Amino acid sequence: MNDPKDNKDPLLLDHEADGIKELDNNLPAWWVWLFYLCVIFGIGYLGYYHVLAKGDLQKAEYDKEMAAGNAIKGAALAKFEGAMNTAEPSKKSEDIDHGRQLFATYCSPCHRTDGGGLVGPNLCDDYWIHGPKFADNVKVIWNGVPDKGMLAWKEQGFKPSDILDVASYIYTLRGSNPPNPKIREDLAPKNTEVYE
Amino acid sequence: MKIETFKYDNRVVRAFAIATVIWAIVGFSAGLLAAVQLFWPEANLNLQYTTFGRLRPLHTNAVIFAFVGNGMFMGIYYSLQRLCKARMFSDALSWLNFWGWNAIIVAAAVTLPLGLTTSKEYAELEWPIDIAIAVVWVAFTVNLIGTIIRRREKHIYVAIWFYISTAITVAVLHIGNSMEMPAGLFKSYSIYAGVQDALVQWWYGHNAVAFFLTTPYLGLMYYFLPKAANRPVFSYRLSIIHFWALIFIYIWAGPHHLLYTALPDWAQSLGMVFSVMLVAPSWGGMLNGLLTLRGAWDKVRQEPMLKFMVVAVTAYGMSTLEGPLLSIKSVNSLSHYTDWTIAHVHTGALGWNGFLTFSMLYWLFPKLWNTKLYSVKLANWHFWLGLMGIMFYAIPMYWAGITQGLMWKEFTPDGFLRYPNFLETVLQLVPMYRLRAIGGSLFIVGACIGAYNLYRTAKSGTFEPDTEAQAAPLSENPHPAGTGHRWLEAKPMFLTALAAVAVLIGGAVELIPLKLIKDNVPTITSVKPYTALEVLGRDLYIREGCVGCHSQMVRPFRSETERYGEYSKAGEFVFDHPFLWGSKRTGPDLHRVGGKYPDAWHFNHMENPRSTSPGSIMPPYPWLLSQKLDTNSLPARIAALRRTGVPYPDGFENGPAQKELEAQARKIVANLQLGMISNAPPDTEIIGMIAYLQRLGTDIKAAPAQAETSPAADHAVATANR
Repeated sequence: MNDPKDNKDPLLLDHEADGIKELDNNLPAWWVWLFYLCVIFGIGYLGYYHVLAKGDLQKAEYDKEMAAGNAIKGAALAKFEGAMNTAEPSKKSEDIDHGRQLFATYCSPCHRTDGGGLVGPNLCDDYWIHGPKFADNVKVIWNGVPDKGMLAWKEQGFKPSDILDVASYIYTLRGSNPPNPKIREDLAPKNTEVYE
Repeated sequence: MKIETFKYDNRVVRAFAIATVIWAIVGFSAGLLAAVQLFWPEANLNLQYTTFGRLRPLHTNAVIFAFVGNGMFMGIYYSLQRLCKARMFSDALSWLNFWGWNAIIVAAAVTLPLGLTTSKEYAELEWPIDIAIAVVWVAFTVNLIGTIIRRREKHIYVAIWFYISTAITVAVLHIGNSMEMPAGLFKSYSIYAGVQDALVQWWYGHNAVAFFLTTPYLGLMYYFLPKAANRPVFSYRLSIIHFWALIFIYIWAGPHHLLYTALPDWAQSLGMVFSVMLVAPSWGGMLNGLLTLRGAWDKVRQEPMLKFMVVAVTAYGMSTLEGPLLSIKSVNSLSHYTDWTIAHVHTGALGWNGFLTFSMLYWLFPKLWNTKLYSVKLANWHFWLGLMGIMFYAIPMYWAGITQGLMWKEFTPDGFLRYPNFLETVLQLVPMYRLRAIGGSLFIVGACIGAYNLYRTAKSGTFEPDTEAQAAPLSENPHPAGTGHRWLEAKPMFLTALAAVAVLIGGAVELIPLKLIKDNVPTITSVKPYTALEVLGRDLYIREGCVGCHSQMVRPFRSETERYGEYSKAGEFVFDHPFLWGSKRTGPDLHRVGGKYPDAWHFNHMENPRSTSPGSIMPPYPWLLSQKLDTNSLPARIAALRRTGVPYPDGFENGPAQKELEAQARKIVANLQLGMISNAPPDTEIIGMIAYLQRLGTDIKAAPAQAETSPAADHAVATANR
């Protein structure tokens, strides 16, 4: 079996399978070290997080991330809410354009693309359920009207500037008289069952 | 010495080879159609049967089980006989394997477009087909082991170790994951719920990659690469070490599909570290392949078959380095749910499995038909088109994945999401989706050229149904048994048993504690079973394959809870048979969608997504508005769910469920009227779908603050009650 003529390479093993021969090269050293390092990493990781319980698992990690993020956001919100009563509509066309986009995406499903009202009330007439001032509009958008299905958009991840932009756009709809507007809220029949 | 003469069966190899080529074109084309729909939703042909949610599983099943499956059997049936110096154990089993497997694929191609699916990824087929898969797989395994027992070669070669580990592990995975409770002939519910179902699914799903797409193909590489290069394998001892390390470690890695989910931390960490440990064993295979070519690189230039092989092995090395990288929790927090994963799997599927299969085909066709390859030039065209196709596929998908992952996570300096509208992040990716479709097209054109070349090759030769060979029987084999691993190679049954133990350990350590220890899924008392209407709605969600694009798992990151709401808790899924966490967000997460929009919004959105979300790439679902909700199946479904452990009261399905369903449907119709939708009949599918969507993720909101009982207290109660 060990015919030296066949075995020119000293590493060539004497067996074969369907003509396939095998060398017996050593494992590449870097490969062996790669394997060891990965195993050591694995043991170290499990030890650090689960045996010694030193590292933050996902709940702790999340709580820290939330605390840091909410501190930043809280400051920005407090500043906005403090100034909300005196808010004035923006006249800048880029703000109004941005407001129009937001309205098309988020508001039109309930208030119709032209603001004429669908599930939500008509936004084009001069009847305002929660007050006629621009600042009143901003507050309704920000805080919502949970009983009537208007979302509190501050909870939907919107920035104060988004709210101002969309309110500024809605402000431009006043008096636009779209066709077939929704009937005024105070004149509508009241006995429809609502499923929550 | 007595010499026996026998014949290798080439007919079944030919059958598998032809099936491989046909299914390649079918599977790739289904993928291309799905890819086109992501930038051009109208490409669903306005048919529910070819809409993305149903098409995607058809594509994945066709590529994995039809293309790679047939390719695997082709290579194994060819090489096993020659490595064992024996004809296959039973021709009848060989043909049962061929016709059974391909009948299963045809059944998949019919049932998946019809929406008959379990929704569990790569295990979508319904229970009767699952049973057929188990039968055919056992036939294959018996044929494999029988042939090994009847071998005339004392020691079994490394390729066969891989074949053995494939056969036993796939059987265990398939049966373990397909445990389901039938509710009629075409419907079943996983017996596992929520977190447990997720872990079982990804124990299966990950190891389908490991033991269906990897181990058999490594075995095939160990046969076809040294054969074609006519070079000895680089290192016998490397093959031993990497084989055992690979099969032992692979099985633990499943939880890396569930990082930062409601899966307990310990299971996530095991999944991550075992994935990292997998780098070296995987690379052992790549090294043994590439280093075998030392001194034969001139052949690689001339021989198209070897070119394909080199790219395949390189793609294997790349994707098995990338896989562990993506399993590192911090990387995964960026990559998960994005197209990065899609890029990753296609490096493996197109590069490793695709190119290795083509390599085998180019080698086998001339052998089987006793001729030469019809055209080396065309094979080179195929090679370059395929390689370009992979590049055009993978690079845009990496770009898309990283872009979207970063956009999801970006905050303004004021602490608000930079892109609160999910759709905005999707629209960024549309150009990348177009490029990806170009890549896929190139790959398919290459494959068609390959099919033509193989056809002409077969035409130009004469098929040899049996190849005659001679060898001495095992009893007269003069080889010494050897020592150590060499000894083991002469004892294939013992090797099989050891391989089985190696693959069972990891699964057992992860799955059993999750089933037995209650701490792992803290109870939330306000979480209740779905109503009858919601059950039917959920089954529609499953039928339409919504899970293919929408996750139901809000991860504990501020960027997710700001966007979607409270992160998902393990206790919220205890009645979810099956779990629907998903693995890709082409659309937004839906776990907290319940109550977010009015019913009318969902109605309009399902009828035409672009009416509520301009620019959306979601397909419309108008058939939900016209098709009648199938309430006849309700009793069987409720009863089946009860048998899986959902606490519906006795007799609920015989009357009370129907009443409750009608009442809930009436309320939704009334709500739709408020939203100025007055034409909605209460018995259509859309009503069930809305009911389910509005329920999603809402139970926890009804919970008092202390509803989530502490695991320790719960455990104490459970212990005291024993």
